[in-house]
Amino acid sequence: MKNTIRVERAIHNITQQQLAEQIGVSRQTINAMESNKYVPSTVLALKIAKLFGKKVEEIFLLEDED
Amino acid sequence: MRSTLLLPNKYKRIGIILLIPSLVLGALVRFWDFSFDFLELPFGKAISSGSLNLDEQINLTDELALTGIILGLIFIAFAREKQEDEYINTIRLESLQWAVLINYVLLLAATWLVHGFAYIDVMMYNMLTILIIFIIRFHVVLRKNRITNPE
Repeated sequence: MKNTIRVERAIHNITQQQLAEQIGVSRQTINAMESNKYVPSTVLALKIAKLFGKKVEEIFLLEDED
Repeated sequence: MRSTLLLPNKYKRIGIILLIPSLVLGALVRFWDFSFDFLELPFGKAISSGSLNLDEQINLTDELALTGIILGLIFIAFAREKQEDEYINTIRLESLQWAVLINYVLLLAATWLVHGFAYIDVMMYNMLTILIIFIIRFHVVLRKNRITNPE
């Protein structure tokens, strides 16, 4: 699974740290998701989508191998 | 996600404060036969009669050192991170799996490579390796994620 968190962050002009604080996770978690090392739980994915005002599937995208 | 089995974050510091003097004490006991006189048990002979040496008195210095080392390591390993979340939980679990696996790989290797009385040393260190490997692996991964992809 890939995601557009980094792009969305750039659009909203917030840092990893700010995003982490707003959804109540560590900065490592944001970092790991952006580098595709971690697939978040549904709850976390929903929180991120809500914060960016988009649908979950606009931010999290399945890849061929999924 | 809540991990109920974790201690508050401050235990990491308490653990380090407990671990360092205990390690020093443990090393003194192990390599220089150090012991505190006031920890000598008066009834040592009676309860050590099952051991190899009947004249051996029981001194609790090594018990004290090992207790401090184990509690220190447990406190460090089980202390909650400042921002404990689902990803950190995942790293925690992975690191525990790693630690168990590597611990037994090391034990197997030592079983074939170390013989005789030296193997008692292997077993002694092996009591602690699982926690040590866990702590190292967990913190290395945490740190790696903190510094990769800086903004």
